[in-house]
Amino acid sequence: MNKKILASLLAFPLLAPAVQAQDNAVKISGFGTAALTRSDDARAEFARPNQANGSARKVRTGIDSNLGLQADYTVNNWLSLTAQGLVRQDAEEHYGAELSWAFARFRISDDVNVRVGRIGLPVFMISDYRNVGYANTMLRPPAEVYSQVPFNSADGADITWRHDLGNTSLTAQLAIGTNKTPLAGDLHVRGKDLVALNVAAENGPFTLRIGHARSKLTIDDSASLNTLVGGLRAAGAGYRLPELNALAGRIEAKDSKGTFSSIGLGVDWNNFVLQTEFAKRKTDTYINDTSSWYLMGGYRIGKFLPYYTRSELRIDDSIENTVPAACPAGYPAACTPTLMQLGNGVRRLPTTGVGQGEQTTDTIGVRWDFYRSMALKVQIDRIKPTGNGLFIHAEPGFNGPVTVGAVALDVVF
Amino acid sequence: MNKFMLAACAAASLMSLPALAEVVVVVNPKAAESTLGKEQVAQFFLGRSTAMTPIDQPDGTPLRAEFYKKVTDKDASQVKALWSKLVFTGKATMPKEVADSAAVKAAVAANPKAIGYIDKSAVDATVKVVYSAQ
Repeated sequence: MNKKILASLLAFPLLAPAVQAQDNAVKISGFGTAALTRSDDARAEFARPNQANGSARKVRTGIDSNLGLQADYTVNNWLSLTAQGLVRQDAEEHYGAELSWAFARFRISDDVNVRVGRIGLPVFMISDYRNVGYANTMLRPPAEVYSQVPFNSADGADITWRHDLGNTSLTAQLAIGTNKTPLAGDLHVRGKDLVALNVAAENGPFTLRIGHARSKLTIDDSASLNTLVGGLRAAGAGYRLPELNALAGRIEAKDSKGTFSSIGLGVDWNNFVLQTEFAKRKTDTYINDTSSWYLMGGYRIGKFLPYYTRSELRIDDSIENTVPAACPAGYPAACTPTLMQLGNGVRRLPTTGVGQGEQTTDTIGVRWDFYRSMALKVQIDRIKPTGNGLFIHAEPGFNGPVTVGAVALDVVF
Repeated sequence: MNKFMLAACAAASLMSLPALAEVVVVVNPKAAESTLGKEQVAQFFLGRSTAMTPIDQPDGTPLRAEFYKKVTDKDASQVKALWSKLVFTGKATMPKEVADSAAVKAAVAANPKAIGYIDKSAVDATVKVVYSAQ
């Protein structure tokens, strides 16, 4: 979206004092989580997806803490404006503020709404409110599923259609746009021609949701990826091995197609709470094709809600190492060692880099609604990575399993 | 007033507490609806339908807790968590909260699309009862 429109959308909340006298005009609301998180393994850092730093046997506040502020301005009965800012620790070293959303919402009819601006991208069941701790049972969304798409929002537009069929409420949402998200350091991913379709059916305590998203993905400024792709191309040209150029093309992420399909079910029936999602990611790049899922079950006992979650992330398909083991006879002496080095680089791809790797987690936790608009959560995760899993800054020899404990206070206001 | 009388008054008001908790759902007398089902009322107060504008009693009051328990089968924190999903995704804004049953009646009397809940004893001609929470 163009910066001018964003800026003018953001300026609207500043008009608040002028219109506050009017009934219901501007509403400021917010959410926040104050948390302490600690892992028990010093050889790798535990972090949320998109964070540059995590815990390696240190108590950290930055992993699960955040603060969000939202301004809603109802212009009239068909137009409203919303801007939400979020402060949390992300891909940069320290706490950073981001503009989560800034959109104008047009009410076309009772059933149809159109939003234009920066909007939440509906790829997961709890996509839009994953940062609102108070709205969720678990302390954090299971990384096995929620690390699989780095985009939280899209700069573009969406249309939502809502309709009641008997006791079932149907919602269909189609979003289009673009996104650029930092992954770590200078590394970022760009999504072009993003399209996301989200269909949900709610009936009493049941919510069933299916979603499909696709985009053209580009990864910029990854030194290791650029070195590998460049090395393959140079060797391919220098040694006349065209298969190396073809492999470089399969690895590179330059307007490469990526898709993400998911299905989720939520149940909140009497004292039983259940939430589950299953998702498949496919890309035409070095980024693994994966399957991921989690199943959370809980039971309310008064103001306490203990829960258990099992989550898994598995690689379905990754780049095959097709670099020949050795050069044909008569090639320069440096050829075979170069190929071996390139081959090692290709073999490491599935388990290195942001959001790559496999792991499973068993989680137990409890949510305690001890006061109005406040909840206290304690959660313990037992994470078993294959290789480095989703851990960052892993030292050689790290293999888990890792236990992570966290305490969090969630508020909404 | 002597002490005995005071004690008797206090006892009477304590005994009348269960009766106080009878909650009725009210709309504007001009509204088309003459009765609503429990699920329909819940739709408006859980943000699932925008066809009517819900008016809330203050957070933490017994009447509000009673209403949500009876109509939505949820306690205050569950309702708050549901609403925070809607609010922080920009899908809806929280129901307007007013001071007491008199203020609910005033809001409902002023808006043909408004829907609120009050203590049964507060019902008068300015509003129309469409549901009685049992």
